[in-house]
Amino acid sequence: MKAFIVLLAIAVIATPAAGQQRWERQVQERAQRAIEAVATSSPRAVVQRSGMLNTDEAASFGTTLVQGTSYAIVAVCDDDCSRLQLTLLSPSGSDIAKERNSESLPTLRFTAATTAVYGIRVVMEGCRWNPCWYAIAVVPLRKTPS
Amino acid sequence: MASLKRWGLAGLAGCVALALAYLPPRGATASHDSIFVGQSVRGTPARQRAQAVADEWRAADGSLRLLRAREHFRTVATNAWAGSSLVVVSESAGVWTAAPRIADSALHVAWEQLRLDETKVRVAVILQLAAGAQGRDRPLPEEGRAAYLTPDSSDRTTCIAVVSAGSYWTRILTGDERAPRPVTFAALVQSLKAGLGPCAFYAAYGTPGKSVRGWLASRGWDLALTLDAGRRGQQWGSVIEMADRRYPWFWDAVYSLPPSAVGCLAGRPDGCGAAVLAGARDDPAVPFPDIMRIDRRWGRVPRLVEASRFLGDVAHEVGRDRFLDFWTSALPVDTALAAALKRPVGAWTADWQSNFVRPIRLGPAPPLGSVAIALAIAALALALVAVTASRRQVR
Repeated sequence: MKAFIVLLAIAVIATPAAGQQRWERQVQERAQRAIEAVATSSPRAVVQRSGMLNTDEAASFGTTLVQGTSYAIVAVCDDDCSRLQLTLLSPSGSDIAKERNSESLPTLRFTAATTAVYGIRVVMEGCRWNPCWYAIAVVPLRKTPS
Repeated sequence: MASLKRWGLAGLAGCVALALAYLPPRGATASHDSIFVGQSVRGTPARQRAQAVADEWRAADGSLRLLRAREHFRTVATNAWAGSSLVVVSESAGVWTAAPRIADSALHVAWEQLRLDETKVRVAVILQLAAGAQGRDRPLPEEGRAAYLTPDSSDRTTCIAVVSAGSYWTRILTGDERAPRPVTFAALVQSLKAGLGPCAFYAAYGTPGKSVRGWLASRGWDLALTLDAGRRGQQWGSVIEMADRRYPWFWDAVYSLPPSAVGCLAGRPDGCGAAVLAGARDDPAVPFPDIMRIDRRWGRVPRLVEASRFLGDVAHEVGRDRFLDFWTSALPVDTALAAALKRPVGAWTADWQSNFVRPIRLGPAPPLGSVAIALAIAALALALVAVTASRRQVR
């Protein structure tokens, strides 16, 4: 079941352009491994995004986090990426947590206080060969009893 | 009294002779016009206005072609890549067709020679073939020009090149019987390889960092037009390399260059540094859409002799790792380039430049003939004085 969900998550991602499949495949495999590493049980719904960024560029997207549920937010990038910054933003747009010390595998853990659309921002702080591919996964861990 | 007059006359004659030898003639026109410098016959104001409008039309038309190509590759031709990082098509009179087989083959050979196998940025080349019967309702496409659309202005991973083949190459590529003379396949590969222009750098090293990109954009990518120009001395990139410096047209070509390039030809590191780093700013601006329109014609006046191969030679010299450090660096261009070269930019460039042209001498240096005449006059004046003085001696 766990493998099925992960495969499903990968399948919904846009098909990469031919010629650059190597890097796209690389980040998908890393994202899959990261999801398997952080998930304590079968994740119910993995939100995953991927794309490419040049050095110092940033990308953001919003995702709904459910009240009382703990999440692991992981970001991975390709071999040419040396530093990736991951930030969780509140519904009002202010920073809740920032991870920039893990170089190419930043991870955040967060339990939502309220159900809302939170922002996730990724900044490509170091890319040796532009553009660098990245992927972000939001993995629900467990629901905290209220 | 007669002796004094002789003295006065001798002095006056000496002054006239010196003036004739050293003072330049004023108001005189050149006795000849050099045919080797980019001097064209000036048209009437109406003609110049018509040419300016035609140039604007060509620029707009070129931009439109690039943007149309961007849509084509985004929507229609998504399967055209077939696992490759290079796609070649041809266009003539607005109609897109498959590229002539010899052109497609030559470009793929060029791609292999550049060792561009799997790249992060792929390249689409549109060979603009000369139409057989061109209508007179629009300006003729100008040969030797190319336009490029950077990946950030397309889908971030595709660089598009529109290369005008002109009537000469069109006849060769299409196997026209009226082709002027057969061209070797190697020459075709070299020509099309040069046509990849900045897209070859994007394919090899990805999108440059902001400072490098702003620097190159501000100077029309003149330093990064050829990733692999071949061995030095294989081809002449300018009149200066092939001219004999004993003849005036060599100097006409030298002094048509910007002052910093002339200084660089003289082996002055300051001049070389200024010529290379012109356009580098602390707050570089990159236009959007980022369309590079490049004049690849042979006779154009460069900012630096053999400028088109400068960054290709830097990459070859320092190796991929160090060049990538420079290419994506957030540091100012002069610092990043000096770090990659492990030498001051001006000193490295002066040595590089001397590989193409033996350093010239600059500064006040009178011609040999003038020196001889001046010395002869001086000797004559001294002799006159000595003779006169000896005759005036009171015994």
